[in-house]
Amino acid sequence: MRAATRLAGTAPYAVLLGLAAYLFQEAGQLEITRIEGRLGPDFWPKAILVLLMATCAYELLRRLLRGSDARPAEPVTLGEDATVDELEPDAAPARRYPHLLWIGAGITVAYVALLDVLGFFLATFLYTLLFMLVGRYRRWPVLIASSLGGSLLFMFVFMKVVYISLPIGREPFSAVSVALMQLMGIR
Amino acid sequence: MGTLHYLWIGLSHIFTPQDLIVLVAGLLVGMAVSVMPGLGLVMGVVLALPFTYRMPIEPSIILLTAIYVSGTYAGCFTAILYRIPGEPMDVPLLWDGYSMAQKGQPAKALGWALVAALTGGLFSSAVMVALAVPMSRVALSFGPPDYFAAVFFGLTTVVALAGTSLVNAFISLFVGLLVATVGVDPIYGAYRFTFDSPILENGVPYVMVLVGMYGLGEVFNRLSQGLKLHGEPRSDTRVKTDFPSWRELWLIRKTLARSSVLGTLLGIVPGAGATVTSFVSYGIEKQYGERRQLLGTGLPEGIVAPQVGSTASVAGHMIPLLTLGIPGSGATAVILAAFLLHGVQPGPMLFTDPGSKAVVYTILASLFVGVIGMCVMGFFWIRVIVKVLRIPQGVLSAIVVLFCIVGAYANRNSVSDVWVIVVFGVLGYAFDKLRFPISPMVLGAILGPLAENSYMQTMISYHNDWTVFFREGLSGTLMVLSLLAMGYPLARHYLEKRRRARPPAPRAAARTDPA
Repeated sequence: MRAATRLAGTAPYAVLLGLAAYLFQEAGQLEITRIEGRLGPDFWPKAILVLLMATCAYELLRRLLRGSDARPAEPVTLGEDATVDELEPDAAPARRYPHLLWIGAGITVAYVALLDVLGFFLATFLYTLLFMLVGRYRRWPVLIASSLGGSLLFMFVFMKVVYISLPIGREPFSAVSVALMQLMGIR
Repeated sequence: MGTLHYLWIGLSHIFTPQDLIVLVAGLLVGMAVSVMPGLGLVMGVVLALPFTYRMPIEPSIILLTAIYVSGTYAGCFTAILYRIPGEPMDVPLLWDGYSMAQKGQPAKALGWALVAALTGGLFSSAVMVALAVPMSRVALSFGPPDYFAAVFFGLTTVVALAGTSLVNAFISLFVGLLVATVGVDPIYGAYRFTFDSPILENGVPYVMVLVGMYGLGEVFNRLSQGLKLHGEPRSDTRVKTDFPSWRELWLIRKTLARSSVLGTLLGIVPGAGATVTSFVSYGIEKQYGERRQLLGTGLPEGIVAPQVGSTASVAGHMIPLLTLGIPGSGATAVILAAFLLHGVQPGPMLFTDPGSKAVVYTILASLFVGVIGMCVMGFFWIRVIVKVLRIPQGVLSAIVVLFCIVGAYANRNSVSDVWVIVVFGVLGYAFDKLRFPISPMVLGAILGPLAENSYMQTMISYHNDWTVFFREGLSGTLMVLSLLAMGYPLARHYLEKRRRARPPAPRAAARTDPA
């Protein structure tokens, strides 16, 4: 069990090491005309990849060779990415909801994929409605009003005020976007 | 005289209707995002970026700077009143601020925080105005080796200060530097890591990395935690601010002075953002304060030190950005992006042209007005601002995602950019889950092109002689500082390991062993 945990802990470093090795080989195949006595465009990425591979290899070996010592061997520093949970000793550990994450990520990917098909308004209305449902909000009048109002507000602000041409979608969905644009006076 | 003259011009610009409206809006947005756990000032600045696309440069930067500065202040409201820190930088305020509130003095605790934010903000803004011109003169003499050394220093301090693991921080930095190499190489025009994909040919704009990692990644992270607040705001809490008396202020004058200087200096160092300055200021108070033994029991010093430190760091961060064009934090990176989107490269040249000088001094003046404005708004509108906590998390997260997506799309009117932020959002979540700090990667992506260009130019000029970085006075000093910044956590780790490995002293062992 402990060995399995240790192996799982090394996985990200092994993946990164493999990826870095592949990219190093890719960098070696750049189509360039070499100038005598000058560093080529492959030098900088190769230098970074060497450092990345060395760091990953160090961590990989350290984790594999480490005995039952569960203490983190690396120095612990205070950082900008430290979370409230890490910084506040009294904070209760956060419970995880992986299914919410998967559904949330899935509908986000679907939203981006359908943006060009449904158009900004329809896609955003559906997305915000579903996202709030995933976020375990169940007051239907608020759900519908906020997703409808939010989509219209975003469309108005970004298309009419900030002049960004958001996707209007393909037929027959584009008819909805065009009608709304006419109502809002967007050309 | 010239500085004061330009500052006066800047002040007169700030009070034009457009700039003033933008400033007030920025302060309000900054306060709202810093009150809400999980949003934070960097995300606030990121989300406001699309609104600046069609604005002139002056109000654009004022908007983002106002969000940045007020984002360091308003988190104290919920930390002190409800024990809900809006951001990690507000955690030290729980120890003394919340304790003071529990003793029946929440209004006084809020008053101390307000005075601290005002003092730190005004002090560091004054230092920034005083240092801007001399620093820009020094920056004018920078050659490629000095530039590389300055960027290198920024990268190493980011690694030294960021995250919970040094190895992971380095990996994160290298990934960020690698992301910056994607696209057409600027010197030879070679295609690097594009894999024949048109999306990658123009490179990965670092704004997309920022929006994805900080915005979408954070939403995914909060989704995996069920979109819940760590605490619940109580409705019976009295929301009011009481100012400390002059006599009380005089008693903590050393804390005010110490934390103001420390916050500003740490702010100048790239990488040491508001969280670091807040904690370091509290730590210094705990070590050198006159009432250090009582810290944590509800002392004003415990509120003042972190609050002064975090607010003072903002103006500190603006110094390298405006004079060298080097952003030292996520928020200043977005501000740099706003400059670049308007076709203006921050750096010493900003201080040579009278037109751009007026813009710079308007931005500097906006910090003074912004600091005073946020305190006035905090005093009068605190009740309204803390109501942000009552917005359902599901609704709020949906709004954040929409801002991220529209912001990414608006950059080049391209859905491809939206895919880029989704990828970086997933990566941001993965980084968080695997405990890789995000800021080294983001700063690597931002500083990478600067580092590569200055390094390659140096190598061309000095015939591949890398010792030039150590031979020249300025670059040599910066390189030594960089090595110290990298060596310090390693040395500390080594000493810590030795201390742990040492067997316990016999007397201590005897005391703990009843036999």
